[in-house]
Amino acid sequence: MDEEQVVKFVETYLKKKGFKQAELAFHDEVQHNSNANSVDIHSDPDLSLLLLSLSQSEDTPARYHEEYRKLRSWTHSSLDLYKPELLRVLYPVFVHCYMDLVAKGHIQEARTFFNSFREDHETVHSRDLQKLEGVLSPSHLEEMEFAHTLRQSKVNLKICQYSNELMMQYLRNTKSTMMLGIVNEHINFQVSPGQPSSISDDAEVVTLIGNSQDAANQINKKEIHWGLLEDSLEERLEKAGGLLSDSEKTEGDAKEGDLDETKKRSVEGGKQGASVKKLKKDKAASATAKVVRPETNTSSIAPRVKSELPLPVIPTEVEQSILEDLRNRVQLSSAALPSVSFYTFINTHNGLNCSSISQDGSLVAGGFSDSSLKVWDMAKLGQQSGNSVLQGENDTAPSEHVLGPNGVKRSYTLFQGHLGPVYSATFSPLGDFILSSSADTTIRLWSTKLNANIVCYKGHNYPVWDVQFSPLGHYFASASHDRTARIWSMDRIHPLRIMAGHLSDVDCVQWHANCNYIATGSSDKTVRLWDVQSGECVRIFIGHRSMILSLAMSPDGRYMASADEDGTIMMWDLSSGRCVSPLMGHNSCVWTLAFSCEGSLLASGSADCTVKIWDVTTSTKVTRTEEIKTGSANRLRSLKTLPTKSTPVYSLRFSRRNLLFAAGVLSKCK
Amino acid sequence: MSIVPKEAIEVTSIVPKEAIEVIAQSIGITNLSPEVALALAPDVEYRVREIMQEAIKCMRHSRRTTLTAEDVDSALSLRNVDPVYGFASGDPLRFKRAAGHKDLYYIDDKDVEFKDVIEAPLPKAPLDTSVKVHWLAIEGVQPAIPENAPVEALAASSDGKKSEYKEDGLPVDVKLPVKHVLSKELQLYFDKITELTIKKSGSILFKQALVSLATDSGLHPLLPYFTYLIADEVARNLNNFSVLFALMRVAQSLLQNPHIHVEPYLHQLMPSIVTCLVAKRLGNRFSDNHWELRNFTANLVASICKRFGHVYHNLQPRVTRTLLHAFLDPTKSLPQHYGAVQGLAALGPNVVRLLILPNLEPYLLLLEPEMLLEKQKNEIKRLEAWRVYGALMHAAGLCVYDRLKMLPGMLTPPIRTVLKSNGRVMTKMPNKRKASTDNLMQQPPLKKLATDGAMGVMPMNSMQVDMQGATGGYPKAVGASSMSIPLTSRQLPNENMPGRDGGQVLKASTVLAQAWKEDIDAGRLLASLYELFGESMFAFIPKPELSFFL
Repeated sequence: MDEEQVVKFVETYLKKKGFKQAELAFHDEVQHNSNANSVDIHSDPDLSLLLLSLSQSEDTPARYHEEYRKLRSWTHSSLDLYKPELLRVLYPVFVHCYMDLVAKGHIQEARTFFNSFREDHETVHSRDLQKLEGVLSPSHLEEMEFAHTLRQSKVNLKICQYSNELMMQYLRNTKSTMMLGIVNEHINFQVSPGQPSSISDDAEVVTLIGNSQDAANQINKKEIHWGLLEDSLEERLEKAGGLLSDSEKTEGDAKEGDLDETKKRSVEGGKQGASVKKLKKDKAASATAKVVRPETNTSSIAPRVKSELPLPVIPTEVEQSILEDLRNRVQLSSAALPSVSFYTFINTHNGLNCSSISQDGSLVAGGFSDSSLKVWDMAKLGQQSGNSVLQGENDTAPSEHVLGPNGVKRSYTLFQGHLGPVYSATFSPLGDFILSSSADTTIRLWSTKLNANIVCYKGHNYPVWDVQFSPLGHYFASASHDRTARIWSMDRIHPLRIMAGHLSDVDCVQWHANCNYIATGSSDKTVRLWDVQSGECVRIFIGHRSMILSLAMSPDGRYMASADEDGTIMMWDLSSGRCVSPLMGHNSCVWTLAFSCEGSLLASGSADCTVKIWDVTTSTKVTRTEEIKTGSANRLRSLKTLPTKSTPVYSLRFSRRNLLFAAGVLSKCK
Repeated sequence: MSIVPKEAIEVTSIVPKEAIEVIAQSIGITNLSPEVALALAPDVEYRVREIMQEAIKCMRHSRRTTLTAEDVDSALSLRNVDPVYGFASGDPLRFKRAAGHKDLYYIDDKDVEFKDVIEAPLPKAPLDTSVKVHWLAIEGVQPAIPENAPVEALAASSDGKKSEYKEDGLPVDVKLPVKHVLSKELQLYFDKITELTIKKSGSILFKQALVSLATDSGLHPLLPYFTYLIADEVARNLNNFSVLFALMRVAQSLLQNPHIHVEPYLHQLMPSIVTCLVAKRLGNRFSDNHWELRNFTANLVASICKRFGHVYHNLQPRVTRTLLHAFLDPTKSLPQHYGAVQGLAALGPNVVRLLILPNLEPYLLLLEPEMLLEKQKNEIKRLEAWRVYGALMHAAGLCVYDRLKMLPGMLTPPIRTVLKSNGRVMTKMPNKRKASTDNLMQQPPLKKLATDGAMGVMPMNSMQVDMQGATGGYPKAVGASSMSIPLTSRQLPNENMPGRDGGQVLKASTVLAQAWKEDIDAGRLLASLYELFGESMFAFIPKPELSFFL
């Protein structure tokens, strides 16, 4: 191919693309440097082919179809060993072929192309396909976030050297220039020497997300202090040996406590070397190396961190009752399963959107689509008829209606104030406040003592999907359709922090046990961890295949569980940002997750009308030691499935004494 | 119904420009150029998809798996579009397929007469929302309470189809029919067992089937079917002795199986079993040995009471009440009495002492004429009477035996009547019942006593027990303490104090009437029983004690 030809190609290309200015400039350039050596095109057959293809005038959509079809059949008939890797390439190629066709305005052809090959990817990527299906004009490509990010970013694919060679060879030999172009433009092969990787770790490939893997990795390298809070009640109980009442321990004692703590550490330090320090400041970069280190009793050496927020002071008498609870806690394990008390809502007329249970299970709240929030006091439930009818009878608060329309006494307290469906409710740790979030973009604070609305927090611009109190109260986090999560404190009507970064709705939010972080789950299929103090995203967890519906943090602060629309639950190691193991078993939306108080069990409640209990301790340990050896994530062990009588489970809550409360709506099914 | 939106998407996967033109015409734009329609069509489709995407989000946050019109309205309001009016309803919309079109659906919208609407009575106010509490699990185990899904339904619920299609129509909760899925193997097994039980109960195969029923671990799902089978077949086959016996054997095997939790079905099983104990006729042929069936069933009942008595507190009281009613009702036939006596006897000597002995003497008064050749001409009837007599004797004897075993020191030595006949007893030992039967057979038959007239003959104390039984508390159940007080006070006037006033032998009737008392003297009891049954009673006395009399 000589120079003139190249110049001609470039000219036709520019003309075709309508780059008049560039064409002129190019022309000038050619005139000027006619003798100068141009780029060494000859040595790069790829480039020349690409140029060739671009210059071809019969750049018809049929070629996309034809070449993709050929590539597909070639992949399917390739060597078994390399097939999984090669198959993975097909999906991004398919998506970009489609978008190319749309971008060039061949809507009809794009449609036929899409429909003829969509089945291949239906199982894994059905939701993405549904979204893409709607893209019907170049302007939609720009408008639609998902498509836009796909066009902007490159997909990272791990592939072994030989597969890569095979693929390139094939593309060159068959002169599939369209495909070659797409592969070069949109796929970033991370070629690794040696054997092809197995299918198991393709979780990273599943989501073609805007953030390239690199960026996510970069974020996941940030430092994170996942340890529990210093001087927490549990710690004090440990120190007291569970014998003495800790009520005398006042502020003055805190210093002594610190001393104890440092002593304890130095003793342990002697035994364990630098492990404590290492544990405390966990860096993702070294996480893989550290995993090998055998993990001994994690609970006792769980590192302590200082709170970055000024935390509320717990009243002494409450503290005492909490300590009492902690002392009487039932030890749960795979052999000792919890008792489950189930609250069934009946006659909701399809109106219940959410439910919440207070820490001690005595109060149950339901948020309804008719904008109301109803709270049942379980202690009063048994003796409805008599004098029990709500002490607030003389209360003049407008939200308090003791009598129903027919003068029939109601069994619940009705909170009215929202202007749209109530999507979430949460009890403060002491049970004296309820927060509710609604489609009217507000969050309202209610007092269960006064039975009245106290504060209305405005700040979100769209429906607020979720709101959660921090483990120690006072602060709360909200998640909204406006793609942000926000941190609030009860005494301010404006948010303290706004966490922005998700590419779609933030659907759920959860606090870390030490109150320094919040986790958010989103419709963009990622979970993110945010630093409350700085408002920065410190972790991105990629792996879910559909919208995240619920999150739970382990009480030791080390793990997080997230569940999605398909019924998959994933357990994540916060420090490394890796998925410890996926939990398969539910076959419909998992609405709620809860860790038992000592962290050995995980309970999940689903729309498939079951509560499942999973074993956390053994599965995490097994994977920690075997993760590197086998390279495959073991599945968490499902200990027990508790079916309900056609009642989807809306919320779960472990009390401090490890009694599990569950709530759901009785619904009829066929 | 959740698939409706998806289907809608499929259908309109390409919104044809004709559709745009039709819509344009419907809102009064007649001169729409084809290019405009062509350009609008894809955009309309995109917007519809966008709305659906948001609507699905709203659905998820309402914790539902069914898309409703409300969700679409919320999605529209998210995009600042007016909601679509006219579809607001609590129920999911019902689409009908248009005739002749594969993919065309519409919502049925009936014309409603204005007058009808006005004149219709007000609908019932929907029930108010409430919360019910129950234990879903206790330490990981689900209690078998009505609020929990039945164990068998587990298989049905796990196939997952259930959760997909949900609708909430009526405001009241309706009891749900539980869908029950049985594996093919279990169905075959059940059919085979049924066949063997009904048709080939004599075969070796049936014996093996019984063993399998008593030991196999996977049979629990079949339990409701077996329960139903037993109840159904017992009711139908009261004339078929072999089937009844086979069914009872099946029941026994099921009860023996350690892997089956019979408790929830016990209330369905018990009536059939008790039927086989105290039914008027079991089998239609003379050769049918229904006595054996009654004996077998009596033991079965006793084992059930023993095993589940502590779970169901009222199980044994109810059984004993039923049996006592059968025993004390003179209108019942003798085989029924026999079954009742055997059933009570199987429940243990205490039950016999508390319930049979006090009624023994008056009952024997009634029975005696039936046993005599001159009074009862019907040989079968006479034989039956002797059977009952034997059963009573057996029961009483076992009771005495038990007392003697327990309290050997309680014997009172001076029982002259007993001592007299000692020598004979030793020889009669091996063939106790026959011997006495033979003796009595020689006596001249008395005239048959009409059983229907016997009601008035029933003595006081039996009626008392009967009444007491009817009020629900048996002396057995309450430990023969609290309930016995009124009874004692009533009986005291017509009997001597059971004290030790000089070795006086109390009248048999009074001793027996006091038999329910805890501290009754075994020797005196024996003496009175001897008066009734003769020396055959000594067959039941253990040897060491017997030697005491000698």
